[in-house]
Amino acid sequence: MISLTNGYGSRLRNGILAAAVALPVGFAGPALAQDYPSADETLDWTIAFGPGGGNDIMARSIIEILDKYDLYPGDVKPENRAGGSGAVGWGYLYAQSGNPYGISTTSGSFVTTPLQADTPWQPEDFTPVALLATDDLVLVVNGNSDIQNIEEFIAKAKETPMNIGGTGTVNVDFIVPTLFAQKAGFEFDYVSFNSMSEQTTALLSNALDAMVGNPGEILGLIESGDLRPLVFSGQNVPAALEGVPTMGSLGYDIGVSMPRGLILAPNAPQEAQDWWIETMKTVVETPEWGEYISSNTLTPTVIYGEDFRTFLTNTKNGFQEVLKSVGAIK
Amino acid sequence: MRIAFLVALLAAAVFYSYTAFADLGFMTRTGRLGPGFFPRVIGVSAILITLWAILDELRSGRISRDGDARAWADVAMLMALAVGYALLIRLFGGMVATFVFLAVTLSILNRGQLVKNMMVATLVPAFVYLLFDWLLNANMPPALIELPI
Amino acid sequence: MDIFADLMMGLSVAITPINIVYLLIGALVGMIVGVIPGFGPSAGLAILLPVTFGMDPIGAIMMLAAIYYGAMYGGTITSILLNTPGESATVASTFDGFPLAKNGRAGPALVMQAVASFVGGTVGVILITILAPMFSQVSRSFGPPEYFLLAMMGMLTLLVMIGTNWKLGVISALIGFALGTVGVDLETGQGRYTFGSAELIGGIYFIPIAIGLFGLGELFYAFYGGLHRTGTGAIVQYDKEERFWPTAQDWISTRLTMARSSILGFVVGVIPGAGATIASLMAYSTERSVSKNPENFGKGEMAGLVAPETANNAASSGAMIPLLTLGIPGSASTAVLLAAFLLWGMRPGPLFMEQNPELAWGLIASMYLGNMALLAISIFAIPLFVQIIKVPYRILGPTVVVICALGTFSVNASFIEMFLMFGAGIVGFFMRLYGFSPAALVLALVLGPLAEEALRQTLTISRGSFMIFIERTPSLWILGITIALVAFLPLLNRLGGKTASSGDAEKAGS
Repeated sequence: MISLTNGYGSRLRNGILAAAVALPVGFAGPALAQDYPSADETLDWTIAFGPGGGNDIMARSIIEILDKYDLYPGDVKPENRAGGSGAVGWGYLYAQSGNPYGISTTSGSFVTTPLQADTPWQPEDFTPVALLATDDLVLVVNGNSDIQNIEEFIAKAKETPMNIGGTGTVNVDFIVPTLFAQKAGFEFDYVSFNSMSEQTTALLSNALDAMVGNPGEILGLIESGDLRPLVFSGQNVPAALEGVPTMGSLGYDIGVSMPRGLILAPNAPQEAQDWWIETMKTVVETPEWGEYISSNTLTPTVIYGEDFRTFLTNTKNGFQEVLKSVGAIK
Repeated sequence: MRIAFLVALLAAAVFYSYTAFADLGFMTRTGRLGPGFFPRVIGVSAILITLWAILDELRSGRISRDGDARAWADVAMLMALAVGYALLIRLFGGMVATFVFLAVTLSILNRGQLVKNMMVATLVPAFVYLLFDWLLNANMPPALIELPI
Repeated sequence: MDIFADLMMGLSVAITPINIVYLLIGALVGMIVGVIPGFGPSAGLAILLPVTFGMDPIGAIMMLAAIYYGAMYGGTITSILLNTPGESATVASTFDGFPLAKNGRAGPALVMQAVASFVGGTVGVILITILAPMFSQVSRSFGPPEYFLLAMMGMLTLLVMIGTNWKLGVISALIGFALGTVGVDLETGQGRYTFGSAELIGGIYFIPIAIGLFGLGELFYAFYGGLHRTGTGAIVQYDKEERFWPTAQDWISTRLTMARSSILGFVVGVIPGAGATIASLMAYSTERSVSKNPENFGKGEMAGLVAPETANNAASSGAMIPLLTLGIPGSASTAVLLAAFLLWGMRPGPLFMEQNPELAWGLIASMYLGNMALLAISIFAIPLFVQIIKVPYRILGPTVVVICALGTFSVNASFIEMFLMFGAGIVGFFMRLYGFSPAALVLALVLGPLAEEALRQTLTISRGSFMIFIERTPSLWILGITIALVAFLPLLNRLGGKTASSGDAEKAGS
């Protein structure tokens, strides 16, 4: 709780409070390196979005765990640097090349914003720590549709192309059904919406045939039977969607999802990267982390270090390819 | 001077339409309305109607009378100060820029009340800082160039 | 009566001393947040959401709901006193609110806006209480075709905003439409007029433009008129004793306005995505159309202030319907409330009210209490707020520039939005001076993107056929109403006369 109140408070109060709750100096964490982290340095934690969003909640959940288990010896100062779909916050971190005390959490925009705007940075420029979870999507139809399962859906879509709604075009919502349709061999029209709520009402009003969305936001409607889940894009189905097949289990694995991970400034020292990898290995084992994953309906997918960089590069290239093929980006 | 404003709008409309025609597709490759469909419609209508309004203005044969020179000088000064303020915020952040803007503007508008002016120039940014940064945890514009104060 | 049992249960949950304290704190904070230009309910809620972590959910939701309402009440105060809308839903309140204040009726205007807000809010809650299940059907029948037709209906409002010189009015609207096309194209993902800027990906946000056009534009215009040179230099007159309470005429002439606008606002609020801003603009133009003296609109007609105020509060109640009955947030503010529900481990959806009756009915009960508290707070706070306008203009003016600039920046931490606000201020001055219609610009900026996106979504769904508009029952209804209005409005306009917003600009300019 301390770090949450911390985050809310002013910069001024932040400092005072953070100092007051600063953890005892010493090697509290899995102390691999001798010099890092120094308890005298404040960890400058950039949250590239405003308070209350997915990125913010994730960052503050990790900070809370670090705090609770005394994993980080110094002060942690979370700061919301919102603007430009993440461009401002990650640009701030990018400018601190080589600094071991600049850190940030990633979300989907980490991959999509550089594709849409001339950001000075690319996702693979940063020092990767770990991919911790992925946001995956569920394909749903209206509860009163006569399509009962994914096989029927694919069969019907092959006969007459359907329309599928999603949020935005330069987004996993567009990429996932596109790749899935390619593999399963059907065609569809993508209808892009501004927000989950608009696309959900469109589906409920029978304007759409189907839509993709984050399960967390529509679980209530799935539970009440207003929406029927057909297939899930992640590797493991969350408990709330038990019985729904994954795209992989159908043999149409698409391997694209939105990365929720942790990054350091570009060219951060090796020892800082190693220290954070070891620390995050502890963090993902805590019950608090498990609760964060389940309450946000994320898929726990953990990979560390350079593998995470490869993952980011692959995700970015995959996006670029699909988006170029439809002319969304040049 | 309405005509000058209309000409400026016409220039903007021409630029807007040029971009719409040069960069944005009229239809998508699947035959639906493209990203350039509405910009082209909007741009062309804007050019036509602005031209029409300019013609009207010319035909009416009178250059609309504006207020006296003093009124123009005042408003131009305030606009210049406001633009200067915007640039100062970008460079030196919200606190410093607000103090400088208020100090300069008030010493021009409210001559001879130095103490009062300085108090306003100090208290307003302090109050805003307390309200935004402390109570609301909202962002104050950060400085591009940190001043050594 | 089930409903009353539920409501009583809700009240018993809501009325505990500590919850009432949370409610009052929320109402006050919300009001302060609402007064700051740029900060609307959604920004206020997002910023203050973390405070509620660790609180008991019922107390927390009461506080959040109170912030939401408080911001709706507070947002109008600067609209009336400084012509600077506190948030987007109160833009329409500047049209007649500020002229009222200029005519020396700031006191009655503020009282009437508080009463109008109270009526709108309370009627909204009553409708939620008794008709929530019915209205949930409305919010689940809106697909892209219906949104397009709704936007078209909203565009009728443009007709009354456009003013006497129709060419200048149309140019104003076209500027608004053009600004609305900035940003990444929703359908293809292609950037339009973003010039590589990450801050423009999401398009031009409406509030910096509105603050610039109305707030700064008015300020420049006042300087042009030499207001800072006059002796007292107060922007509006306010006479404490005799001019505080509204006259009997004010009450009588706005009774029906309140009734109409409550219903209209609520229904528009129920539709996800339409929201309080569109509701307030539509209520304004409806009221102007049915008024016996439309020529007074824009010059300080009480009904012109009461209509948008009633409607925006009714709409903010209406927006609770899709949230509570479907788990779909209908507005940016309710999206923050949804995030709060998720944080507390609840699962909003059709079963939400059944599964969490205490929270849901506690929330509804707290809306009744919140509206009453806010009415009282507003009336007590009015003498305090009107002190603002006693500050000489040469000091107040620069301070308003500061608040507009910092408020605009803070909402999205965006320098581009701040620069846009300054740019809109300068353009707004010239528009006002030369008889253009800033109101038409703002309305076009709201409705343009909605119409474009909905039309393109519709045509994708229908594979290019326009028949979809008559094949769907809800569309057919809206189409019918729109056609009736089109047939009706010219008649009403002929009876009417002059314009909404360019009234005094005409006198001053050209």
